[in-house]
Amino acid sequence: MSLLNISDFTLDLTTGSKARLLDAVTLNVAEGETVGLVGESGSGKSLTARSALGLLPGFAETSGSVVLDGTDVLSATSSQVLALRRGTASMVFQDPRSGINPLRRIGDYLTESLILCNGWSKADAYKRALELLRSVGLPRPEAHLNQFPHELSGGMLQRVMIAGALSTSPRLLICDEPTTALDVTTQAEIIGVLTEQQAQRGMGMLFITHDLNLASALCDRIYVLNGGKVVEKGAVKEVFTNPQAAYTQQLVAATPSVFTRAVSVISPARSAAFVQAAHAQESGQPSVMLEGRSLSKTYYVKGNAPLVAVNDVSLSVPRGDALAVVGESGSGKSTLARMIVGLEQADTGDILVAGVSRAAQAHSKAERLERARTVQIVFQDPYLSLDPRILAGAAVEDALRLHTKLSHAESRAKVLALFDQVGLGEKHANARPRTLSGGQRQRVAIARALAVGPDVLVLDEATSALDVSVQAQVLEVVDEIRRERGLTLLFVSHDLAVVRKVCETTMVMRRGEIVEHGQTADLLENPQHPYTQLLLDSIPRPEWETDRPRHSAALTDPVAEPA
Amino acid sequence: MSAPALSKSVRKSLWLPRANVLFVISLVIVAIMVISAIGAPLLAPYDPDFVDLANVLSGPTTAHWLGTDALGRDTLSRMMFGARSSLLGPLLVVVLSTIIGILLGLIAAWRGGWLDAVLARIFDLLFAFPALLLAILAVALFGKGLAAPVAAMSIAYAPFVARLVRSLVITERTRPYVAAYRVQGFSGGWIAMRRVLPNVMPTVGAQSTLNFGYVLADLAALSFIGLGVQAPTADWGAMINESRGALMSGQLLPAMVPAIAVVLVVIAVNIIGEEFSDRIGGQIPS
Repeated sequence: MSLLNISDFTLDLTTGSKARLLDAVTLNVAEGETVGLVGESGSGKSLTARSALGLLPGFAETSGSVVLDGTDVLSATSSQVLALRRGTASMVFQDPRSGINPLRRIGDYLTESLILCNGWSKADAYKRALELLRSVGLPRPEAHLNQFPHELSGGMLQRVMIAGALSTSPRLLICDEPTTALDVTTQAEIIGVLTEQQAQRGMGMLFITHDLNLASALCDRIYVLNGGKVVEKGAVKEVFTNPQAAYTQQLVAATPSVFTRAVSVISPARSAAFVQAAHAQESGQPSVMLEGRSLSKTYYVKGNAPLVAVNDVSLSVPRGDALAVVGESGSGKSTLARMIVGLEQADTGDILVAGVSRAAQAHSKAERLERARTVQIVFQDPYLSLDPRILAGAAVEDALRLHTKLSHAESRAKVLALFDQVGLGEKHANARPRTLSGGQRQRVAIARALAVGPDVLVLDEATSALDVSVQAQVLEVVDEIRRERGLTLLFVSHDLAVVRKVCETTMVMRRGEIVEHGQTADLLENPQHPYTQLLLDSIPRPEWETDRPRHSAALTDPVAEPA
Repeated sequence: MSAPALSKSVRKSLWLPRANVLFVISLVIVAIMVISAIGAPLLAPYDPDFVDLANVLSGPTTAHWLGTDALGRDTLSRMMFGARSSLLGPLLVVVLSTIIGILLGLIAAWRGGWLDAVLARIFDLLFAFPALLLAILAVALFGKGLAAPVAAMSIAYAPFVARLVRSLVITERTRPYVAAYRVQGFSGGWIAMRRVLPNVMPTVGAQSTLNFGYVLADLAALSFIGLGVQAPTADWGAMINESRGALMSGQLLPAMVPAIAVVLVVIAVNIIGEEFSDRIGGQIPS
């Protein structure tokens, strides 16, 4: 009999209008197997997994059954559910920072359930905690027990959370996007820990993720969820290589991969850009559109050692080209982008756009507007980068009215043209940001950036908060615009697969310095620097794609502690 | 424990409708008070200052629904006219303190640095004085009446608003949409006044609504001790004071009516303010 057996599970939310969140979901997890639950945001994947532990939302009405180890969670008494949570199944959440009480020590976190729920003695519980920390590969278990969560890095904390979930020796481990908030190298380490523990303990694992590549690297079987329904299930290779449902096909197609050469959508853009570049050279304009000369930036925070965010970075992007800046969190890539758009002042070095220096702060209004017309930026979080009170169309119009002397009707027409260009219509222009989806908001942000007709567009992780299918659409929009306008692109990202799709050249940053720089295809296929190799090796890939050699033994490296 | 099945865990939420009922009742109370204040000359059955010594402390009659006071003046009419100064004072204080508070808070948050530090110390200094004490000081310096206490209370309450505005604006200015405005070339002043300020206004408005209740109670206390609005002008605080004697002689109404009016309005305004901040709290994207 399988460990977890969800059948015909339907969940309606009864507040206000009735909403069906899950529709006849059926899935099962046997002992010792890893089952993936894949879907985009709002597909109901987290809800399904939480239901297994009886963590239902308020105002919910359910039917069907969720049987965990022989007990139907839906009709069980609270004490039965408690027993299941204490002994049979446990859960690892997405964000370890908010999942662990910041005011208590790691030791308390790991031992309190053993002491309070299982009645262990303090000494036994601490002995167990020590074992667990050792087994998830933390470097100094004894010391960690007395540390507070803020003293550990995100990856280390996630290990702690896994240790906590394992403390009661569960037979089913539910992982809800446990690596989504982590860097790719850290993700690889965490996945290593999870698979190792699962193999050792013979647990069943239900792994929730939005990342098909990750699911394919880790899972035996997967279920694909869309709009609360299971649209496809089966062995992971089967689903990945031969998807049956239309939605799965679309999802697989939209998932970018570092290892397969993307059908180049770049070439037409390049040609248009080259024509323009040639044209520009004829008319005496410089062919280098964006140039950074030995840029450095150091942050001084009271009580901390000075943080060198960017250290002597130089870059140069020809007119119409796209340069990717790739790195993990803390690599200084965002600081670099913010310096280029003028949100941060460089300590030393110079930034030239179309040959004009813009390192010093703008003094006059004319200078400010002039700079705005050369470089624009699209931010990562589409939920925070639009003013919540301003209609989407008005946000774009604001920018137009500031820079041009267009009449109301003219600017309105221009707004609609811009919206049309990014694939939005008039009804979106009259909507408030909160009524738009993430992808739509990001299109609005792009339209707003394009409104002033910049030469350089900086995309700061502009697609990383989006679902893959939406990301694909937004990247398409960006590509079209490049082709039409010959825009120069600076693409800041942590995602090598996306970079491969978009950029001709790539720069890899680590701790504020450039470690490698070159043509994207060369760099990805033949990385020279060990860090680039490590990055590439950390990217999850399907188990059956073993033809590509791994470059380093980095995945067994000891855990790096935060500086 | 025969726990109900989780599958039917439809939580009948009791507090939500009740909060709404309270909110509506509060709105009605405030509306009635405002209407009777504005329309007092038309609605009040008597001249509030008409003295009828033949008919003092009458108790409720068909002619005088809420009775008369020690000078035979109609309590209902006096309460309605009293609503004017009793509500106008707090209103002025709330408006003035909100304007001053917003300006100072915005400057402190937007400029930061030494200016922020200096303003923060000034706020601390003002927090150290109870608002009522400042108002009494102002009366001592500038004389009795409405103007001096209102000015003093406005200054005393401004730091509360300023502190709130400051913290809200500091959170708001780190949001990418503000950075986006900057990159587009908008000036800092424009972004602060035209875009950030309107975004924090709902929360500030809710806080100011709460302040209204406190100020009303403070000003009523001030006129109770004879430092606020002066006789014979009708004012709730003053009315309570004038009717202390009647209270001794067993006539509750002349003192109770304005007292209850104060209590009702303060509670109603508090409920409205709480409800506003709850509703707004749910809307602000975190």
